[in-house]
Amino acid sequence: MQLSREALLNAYRAMKTIREFEERLHVEIQTGEIAGFTHLYCGQEAVAVGVCEHLGTRDRIVSTHRGHGHCLAKGCDVEGMMKEIWGSREGLCKGKGGSMHIADADKGMLGANGIVGAGAPIAVGAALASRANGPGPDGLDVAIAFSGDGACNQGTTFEAMNLAVVTQAPCIFVFENNHYSEHTGFSYAVGTDRDIASRAEAFGMKAWRADGTDFFAVHETMREVLAHVRGGGGPAAVEFDTERFFGHFEGDPQRYRGPGEIDRIRAERDCLTRFRAAVTAAGLLEHSDIDALDTQVMDTIEAAVSAARAAARPTAEDVLADVYISY
Amino acid sequence: MTKMMYRDAVLSTIMEEMARDPDVVVLGEDVVGGMGTAGGPEAIGGIWSTSTGLYDRFGPGRVIDTPISESAIVGAAAGLALSGKRPVAELMFADFIGVCLDQLWNQIAKFRYMFGGKSRCPAVIRMAYGAGFNAAAQHSQSVHQILTGMPGLKVVMPATPADVKGLLRTAIRDDDPVIFLEHKALYATSGDVPDDPDFMIPFGHARLCRAGGDVTIVSTGLLLGMCEAAADRLAAEGIGCDVIDLRTTSPLDEETILDSVEVTGRLVVVDEAPPRCGLAADLRALVAEKAFSSLKAPPLQVTPPHTPIPFARELESAYLPSVDKIEDAVRRVLAWR
Amino acid sequence: MPDIRPFCMPKWGIEMTEGTLAEWKLEEGAAFSRGQLLCLIETAKITNEVEAEWDGVLARVLVPAGGDPQPVGALLAVLAEPGASAQDVDAFIAGFRPADASVAARGAAAPASAPAPAAEPAAPRPLLTNRAISPEARKLAEQSGLDIEPIEGSGRNGRITLQDVQQALRAPARPALQGALAAPEEDHAVFASPLARRLAALHGIALGSITGTGPRGRISKADVLALVPQPGSAPVIGTAPFVPVPNPPTVVPFDRVRKVVAQRLTQAKQEIPHFYLRTSARLDELLALRKTANLVLGSKATINDYLVRATALALAQHGDVNVQVHGDSVHRFAHADIAIAVASPKGLVTPIVRQADRQGIAAIAQATRALIDKAQAGKLAYEDMDGGTFSISNLGMFGVEEFAAIINPPQAAILAVGAAARRPCERADGSVGFETRLALTLSVDHRAIDGAAGAAFLATLKDLLETPERLFA
Repeated sequence: MQLSREALLNAYRAMKTIREFEERLHVEIQTGEIAGFTHLYCGQEAVAVGVCEHLGTRDRIVSTHRGHGHCLAKGCDVEGMMKEIWGSREGLCKGKGGSMHIADADKGMLGANGIVGAGAPIAVGAALASRANGPGPDGLDVAIAFSGDGACNQGTTFEAMNLAVVTQAPCIFVFENNHYSEHTGFSYAVGTDRDIASRAEAFGMKAWRADGTDFFAVHETMREVLAHVRGGGGPAAVEFDTERFFGHFEGDPQRYRGPGEIDRIRAERDCLTRFRAAVTAAGLLEHSDIDALDTQVMDTIEAAVSAARAAARPTAEDVLADVYISY
Repeated sequence: MTKMMYRDAVLSTIMEEMARDPDVVVLGEDVVGGMGTAGGPEAIGGIWSTSTGLYDRFGPGRVIDTPISESAIVGAAAGLALSGKRPVAELMFADFIGVCLDQLWNQIAKFRYMFGGKSRCPAVIRMAYGAGFNAAAQHSQSVHQILTGMPGLKVVMPATPADVKGLLRTAIRDDDPVIFLEHKALYATSGDVPDDPDFMIPFGHARLCRAGGDVTIVSTGLLLGMCEAAADRLAAEGIGCDVIDLRTTSPLDEETILDSVEVTGRLVVVDEAPPRCGLAADLRALVAEKAFSSLKAPPLQVTPPHTPIPFARELESAYLPSVDKIEDAVRRVLAWR
Repeated sequence: MPDIRPFCMPKWGIEMTEGTLAEWKLEEGAAFSRGQLLCLIETAKITNEVEAEWDGVLARVLVPAGGDPQPVGALLAVLAEPGASAQDVDAFIAGFRPADASVAARGAAAPASAPAPAAEPAAPRPLLTNRAISPEARKLAEQSGLDIEPIEGSGRNGRITLQDVQQALRAPARPALQGALAAPEEDHAVFASPLARRLAALHGIALGSITGTGPRGRISKADVLALVPQPGSAPVIGTAPFVPVPNPPTVVPFDRVRKVVAQRLTQAKQEIPHFYLRTSARLDELLALRKTANLVLGSKATINDYLVRATALALAQHGDVNVQVHGDSVHRFAHADIAIAVASPKGLVTPIVRQADRQGIAAIAQATRALIDKAQAGKLAYEDMDGGTFSISNLGMFGVEEFAAIINPPQAAILAVGAAARRPCERADGSVGFETRLALTLSVDHRAIDGAAGAAFLATLKDLLETPERLFA
């Protein structure tokens, strides 16, 4: 199904925003200005955007420690996120969450999560809420559990998949297989012969597989998945084969990478390059359109970083706020 | 007032709250019971009979029978709560927090704070705790000492049917995550319960079960009955005990404890959890810090020993606090010279 | 060799040199246990009960009750474990040497029954035990000769702690019990702390009308106490018919302290030619000043503390009042040591504020507070009460308007202080106003102090109280 010019521009802008957000963080982190652990999503942008372009705010997602891309794709404010990562009290979570714990319930973003595999049961809960609410004009609202190939080995993920099947909850398990669980290879850590999607199938749900570096493949696959789930077909799973351009965390020496691996995946498997090539070759967009977006995005990120630097710092009194609604 | 059992107070409160608020949903293992069997739904109706009839009345959308998957149960409760529902999840045995601790501790407890106060997680996690049924080390524990130590959770331990009613209603209507601990040895006990459909007991409001000016006894749950029995025995000798039921260990009613110790100068904390790093140690430290000048004797604790819970009848009764042990502790604080 | 120990005249306080054995509480040859009362020993200041520190037998009494005063360190009796023979005891007495050389010197001039010199009496005996015991606990057990075997150690694996030893050394506790009370009925409609409920029930206050200021908006005791009517409302008079009942006396024999007080005061009132000087001082300035001074100094000085200060300054100016009478001579002192009369559980005691003329008001306040606390706990030591150049007795807190006190020998004067009261007075313009006045009565020993000297002292004191800035000079 052909996307409109506007939809294409939006998709590119979203992916490019994630890319520049991450590339900029990669630079800024070297200066020591940003505290704590940061896990960059760079390379996987087509998945977050290809999935979230289909979603409304009533659809909910649960993310991972590598969550910036999901947050941005689901509509979280760029500046609010940048401020959060800088630890400002003006951040999306008032400086209490940081990179690993960004959420914006109003946007249907239930939270990034520092615990690998913890998100899947929460997504099932969100899906059960949707099931209890019943379908709207476009069918059921869905909940999406983003997981990596690491989380697919956690018992919580298995429990969540089984519970979703048992309760026929409108939940979609999106496995982004970037071939690394932290510093360990997929071929070692995932014991299933073929892939992750087959595990989901074993739990009794329909599963799809697609190239996660091809925005159009992701987008088209998700159209089918969503039609199935929104229509009351029960939970589903999708495995996207994708790439992680940076290490597990910022500062990871990445000694596990093969020779020239990063250069190769950047050259051959960059979803942005592939998007640009596809749309210009098909005559859907001009290079100049995309260049203009690049400039816009750079400006947005530059402005967000400046704002984060200048934003108010939290104070010791803020430590005590927001823990209970009443106590 | 209506006389009812502790377990019926649980069930009727859930029933009433589900009828009042369509956002209240129930989930847990066997909360329906019999799903996928020849007996069919409601063949069991919850192993504690605290969910009997909910499925028939409110249907599968709001009464969710789950597989044995505690992480998924608590995680789903979290997701439901973040999505605007008021889930009441049941863990069957409190000991099972071991298999879902991450969801309780790293997820539910932390959402509100970690996400800058914007996320609400109004989940109630009910669980049956406590010894007295020879259920041995993995089905008898009192876990409040672990959960009370987790910022972000509220922890409720009702001791009477009336308190179940008032506190569970408060828990369901509360906008924070609440751990609701039901003592299994209390399920079959009866008591008067107010009929007011909005009867609620605020959290952090201890109950004074016995009054006396000589020793303060603080406890929760099943052990309160023993504390009251000990206080009654001692009263016959002219020894008066304030027996305080904390009702909630988080928030803690510091004021009631300190008010009492300022008069008595002597404290005995009676707790079913092991002795180290627990409620009893915490309260004794509180009093040592904030009522030091009132103390006439070192505060004592009556707890089980620092061992797992044994199985055999003789062993379990030797393990648990008893009326005699409580009485002995009261005499020991009074004998301090 | 059986365990034989000397029982010597104790030394309570730096100035005690001798004491009188007032009464033996058991016969020679009688057995005693730890904590049992052995005897009463009287000094110039107090009568003390002496308790046994271990279990044994009063093997030999060397100094009978009621005899002459004995020097500190003098051997009064020999204590031994049961089974010690008379020969063992004789040998012990023969070999006994008092610890203090000066006592030994005095002992030479003492009666024949006085001890002969011997080895060290109270060397701690090493504790031989396999029990786990903390170093400090072991030290104390050794010093006190305590048998640690019966102690149930409270430490890990039964280790004996210092606290366990201290507990074992104390007499059994007999706490005053309050007994059970009626637990307040819980009213679920109102959110109030249990104490607030009790207070409300006690004072008949309806909780429903109160807005709670306690934790989580709860009604706390402070909220209820704010509504408690101040005392002074009329008592309810019973309407039951009057029935007379027998009214027999409860006979309470004088204890030792009361005996000493009775004897001393009778002697003072009979032997000392008292005369009395009365005046009153305007207190308004002092009351006003005290408020701000206490704020500034951060102290809680009472009117009595200011009186001590003023009296001390007046005594410094009038050295002829700051005296003691000893037989045919008058002792004068450079500084004023002021005894304050305090009611204690053991009766009237008079601890001393030392060199009050050299101490500021805050220091005096602190000193008197400490002395009063000790007195009320029954823990005043001999040195807290030894000496004194002047006494103050204040009954103002009971509303006594004025009274005259009996001099406490060897002191030569005592000031009796009544209540501060509002009195009408003539103002400078001739109109009538009110002022706060304090009645002062000085009892004076005419043997040492003449009327004019006493009056001059009293005038200075009155002047200091009425111009209180000088109390801070």
